[in-house]
Amino acid sequence: MRNILEKITKYKYIYKTLGILFLITLISHLFKEYLDIINIALIHIIPVVIIAIYGNVKATIFITLLSVVFLNFLYIPPLYSFSVHNELYIWSFLIFGIVGWIITIQAKNLNTQTKQNELRESLLHIISHDLRTPLSTIHGSINLILSNEKLDMESKNNLLEDINYSSLRMKRLITNLLDSTRLSSGSIDLKLEWCDFEDIVGVALNEFSQKQNDEKLDIKIDELSLFWGDNTLLTQLIINLLDNAFKYSKPNTKIYLEIHNLNNFTKIKVFNESEYIDKQKLKNIFDKFYRFEDTNDISGSGIGLAICKSIVKLHNGEIKAIAQNDGISIEIKLPIIKTVEVK
Amino acid sequence: MKQLIHIIEDDQSVKKLLEIAFKEYDFNSISSNTKSNAMIMFLSHNPDLLIVDLGLPDGDGKDFIKQIREISKIPIIVLTARHDEKEIVAALDVGADDYITKPFSVNELLARIRANLRRKIEPENINSSIVCDELELNIVSRDITFKNEKLKLTPIEYELLKYFMLNANKTLTHNQILQEVWGTGYQSQMQYLRTYVNTLRKKIEKNSTRPKYIKTESGIGYRFSCNQN
Repeated sequence: MRNILEKITKYKYIYKTLGILFLITLISHLFKEYLDIINIALIHIIPVVIIAIYGNVKATIFITLLSVVFLNFLYIPPLYSFSVHNELYIWSFLIFGIVGWIITIQAKNLNTQTKQNELRESLLHIISHDLRTPLSTIHGSINLILSNEKLDMESKNNLLEDINYSSLRMKRLITNLLDSTRLSSGSIDLKLEWCDFEDIVGVALNEFSQKQNDEKLDIKIDELSLFWGDNTLLTQLIINLLDNAFKYSKPNTKIYLEIHNLNNFTKIKVFNESEYIDKQKLKNIFDKFYRFEDTNDISGSGIGLAICKSIVKLHNGEIKAIAQNDGISIEIKLPIIKTVEVK
Repeated sequence: MKQLIHIIEDDQSVKKLLEIAFKEYDFNSISSNTKSNAMIMFLSHNPDLLIVDLGLPDGDGKDFIKQIREISKIPIIVLTARHDEKEIVAALDVGADDYITKPFSVNELLARIRANLRRKIEPENINSSIVCDELELNIVSRDITFKNEKLKLTPIEYELLKYFMLNANKTLTHNQILQEVWGTGYQSQMQYLRTYVNTLRKKIEKNSTRPKYIKTESGIGYRFSCNQN
């Protein structure tokens, strides 16, 4: 039900344009005697222009067709028939189409520009906020160490640990920012090769501290079966999945990472316990810069899972987030396109 | 006598960090900003190890590595801000022994420097046996023991592990390994390497996702980590 309502509000402009079209036809019909066919044709182009502004190609085609049909049926001789005597009118119809098409294209360009601007803004937001947070930790800790000679060893070490951790966070964020621009600009070439997930997980684990790994992680990987994919991107995928799980999991709970080889796909599953999550919100979890509103205090940009989605898509796979009783599990299916036997 | 490290790096802050670290850990160091100066300094000071930044103001560090390799076997560690795997692989293929990417941890760099200096002191193949923690390779009897027990290895597994142990603490590119262990013409057969590394790990690593010996250098190759005491 909610979906239908959403759709209705989303395509409201189509109904509005339809209304305008009927109104115009009515007016034309009433003042048929005073208006020449040319003027009637000209006002029938109004709905085409209006719909085209929304940049929806299908809607534009639909309204243009309707406009032309009305015009033809009601005003172009022979009246009340769909046949056309004068071939010149065919040209008029074509011009209708062209006008609609040009405006639609322009509107589309404008739309993408607005979206890009929005993206750029959120990017700046991230850079200022998410890079600033670890940076202020680094800056503050260093100042404290520099200005306080009598600091005892333990607090000094604590501060240094913080600096180390913050700098790692910054490094990961920068990698992610670079990756995301690379992935979204579509300029990326997949470098396909034989990958071993055990190897990939091993590399991914290096990104996290030993303590995090040992205490929290429970990993299960099926016996060796090489996967044909992009090794670097798949590594990034696992890193981001784990990073996300570490960020949002409840303290003192385990994180489960499972990789299984099924018949025609490899399944990756990451599960972490977390607070209750609204199922509606889960759908947006893979959108760029999305973050649960109530989790503002957790550092991160919401960029990680968007990258996961891009990587999975590049491998023609599926990714979904499932809310379970006590947490979130993210499941990925990557199709196996090639198999190999090594003697 | 203190060993001399030659830093070839144009970034002042990185250079300063390295100089401080080396002084602190009992190395002498000299530095160059450019490729041309580096060559002059290299010839006049005869250093024990080179640290080369790939992006130098007067050209690519790879060319410099190539020139050095024509005249010397000195250990070379590449330092690079470029996260481009191709660049790193190319640098290793022209003769660099190891690499480290910026931002790097000084400890990691020092560990690699020590490992590479050690290899310089004990040239390979002098001993018929090589020990790495719990692993021992006997080249004459073609045996490898793990925790004092003979490992059951297929001929290729043996060749691979032997190659790793002979080149311990050195980053080996996929190409280099395939070429050396399987032979010419196998460079693109990554599936062999992946499979054999996987089975080898099952035999010598306690936890294959946290390997102690055969470490993965993502997108580049492998490095066999060995603490020869």
